[in-house]
Amino acid sequence: MFGRRKRAAPDTFGSEVLGYLEPLFATAMRLTRNRADAEDLVQDTVVRALRFRDRFEPGTNLRAWLYTILHNTWRNRVRDTAREATDVDSERIEELAARADGPAEVETPERLLLRATMDADLKDALDDLPEAFRQAVWLRDVEEFSYAEIAKMLDVPIGTVMSRISRGRRQLFEKLSQSKDGAQVPVSR
Amino acid sequence: MSECRLVTSQLSSYVDDQLEPDRRSEVERHLEGCVSCRGQVARERGGQTVLRHHAARLREQPRPEEILPPGLRSRCESLVGEHTRAASLPGWRRTLVPTVLSVILLVFTASAIFSLATRQSDAVLAAQLTADHSKCFKLFVAGDPPVMDAHEVEEMLSREYGWKIHVPPSSDGLQLIGARRCLYADGLIPHVMYRANGQDLSLFVLNGVTRSPAQLVTFGHRSQIWTKNNTTFVLVSPSEESGRLADATRYMMKEADR
Repeated sequence: MFGRRKRAAPDTFGSEVLGYLEPLFATAMRLTRNRADAEDLVQDTVVRALRFRDRFEPGTNLRAWLYTILHNTWRNRVRDTAREATDVDSERIEELAARADGPAEVETPERLLLRATMDADLKDALDDLPEAFRQAVWLRDVEEFSYAEIAKMLDVPIGTVMSRISRGRRQLFEKLSQSKDGAQVPVSR
Repeated sequence: MSECRLVTSQLSSYVDDQLEPDRRSEVERHLEGCVSCRGQVARERGGQTVLRHHAARLREQPRPEEILPPGLRSRCESLVGEHTRAASLPGWRRTLVPTVLSVILLVFTASAIFSLATRQSDAVLAAQLTADHSKCFKLFVAGDPPVMDAHEVEEMLSREYGWKIHVPPSSDGLQLIGARRCLYADGLIPHVMYRANGQDLSLFVLNGVTRSPAQLVTFGHRSQIWTKNNTTFVLVSPSEESGRLADATRYMMKEADR
C-alpha cells in the first residue's frame, strides 16, 4: 500500500555548522568582549542557522553565512547604542594620517614584521583599533573574506568596507611603529 | 588634491591587487609623483603584511578567553541533535519543528536578555531549564501519554545513565509521564516529566550542586530552586498556579528530596 520511503542523503548541515563553533566563539568574544554575551551570541547564531537553513544556498560559503548571522544578531542587540560613533573617530584618524610623516619616516614592513612577532603587541594594537576598523581588517586579512562578503556581514556598502580596511591597516601599522613610551622607532633607511 | 582623494578611496583595492590593469596603472602614475599617497600605501601595506604574516596564528591560537567553552559546544551539539532528529520525523510531527525552534530561540534570547539584565546565575539556570522544559514537552510528549511507574523510571535512569535518584510517584491529580536526560552547563542531568490538570511540570536534579533557595518567574514559567544533601532540585511549572497545580507543586517539593 505504501511505497518504500526513499533513503535521504545524510544531513551534514548541522555537523558542518558545529565545525565552525571555535572561530564563531572567538569572533563573538572580539565583538562582545564578554564571555556570557559571547556564549549567548554563538548559541543564538546556531539556533538561527538551523531555523533558517533553507535560506542557505548549498555550494556557497557556509562560514561566511554563519558570520553574517552572527554579526546581524550582534548588531540587532547593540542597535541604538553609542557604538556607531566609530565613524567620527575614523575621520579624526584620517586627518592625523594625512598629517603624518611621509614614507621615509616610517619603518619598513619587513623590519616591523620582525618586531611584531610578539603576539601580544599585535593583539594589543588590534584591540586598540576602533571597533569598525578592527572588524574590517580582521575579516579581510585574518579570516580572508572578500569585500562583498564583509559588506554583507557588516551591512555596509563595499566602499565603506574598503575605507575601513584601509584605515584600519594604516592605523595598526602606526601603532606598531611606535615604541611603548609613544616615541617613534628609529627610522630604517 | 581631488586625484589624491580618488586614489585614497582605492587604496585597499590597490594594496590587495584587485584593481583592473588600467586603473592600477593610473594609480601607479599618481603615486610616482605624490609623496603623501606613497606614504599611505606604505603604511597600509605594512599593516596588511603584518596581519597576513600572523593570520594563521591569530586564527588558530586564540587567547585563553577566546577558547570555546565545552558547555557551549555541548549545548550547540544538543540543538543540532534535536534539529536533526526532528527533521527525520514523519510529516505531521515535523510541522512542530518551527514552533519548537521558535520556543527555543525565544527562551534562549530571553535568557540572554535576562542574564544581561541581572547577571544572576539563578536567572540563567531558570531560563535554560525553562527552555529544556518547553523543548522536551514539545518534542517528546504527544497527545495523552501513559502514566509511568516511578520505580520503573528510577530503574531506567540507573540502567541507562547510571543515575540513582528518587523519582516522586504519581499522586492524586499528578501523573508521572516520563524522564529524559537534558543538558545543563557542562553536564547532563535527569529531567523528570509530569502532568497535572493538563499542565506540564518538570523536575530537574543537579547532583553535587548546592544553591540558595530561590523562586523565579521566567517567561510564563515558575522555577522553584532548592537544595538538600548537596543536590539541587529545580521544579519548572506554569507560573499561573491554582488549585490542583499548586497542590502538585507542594507535593513535588516535599517528595523530591525525600
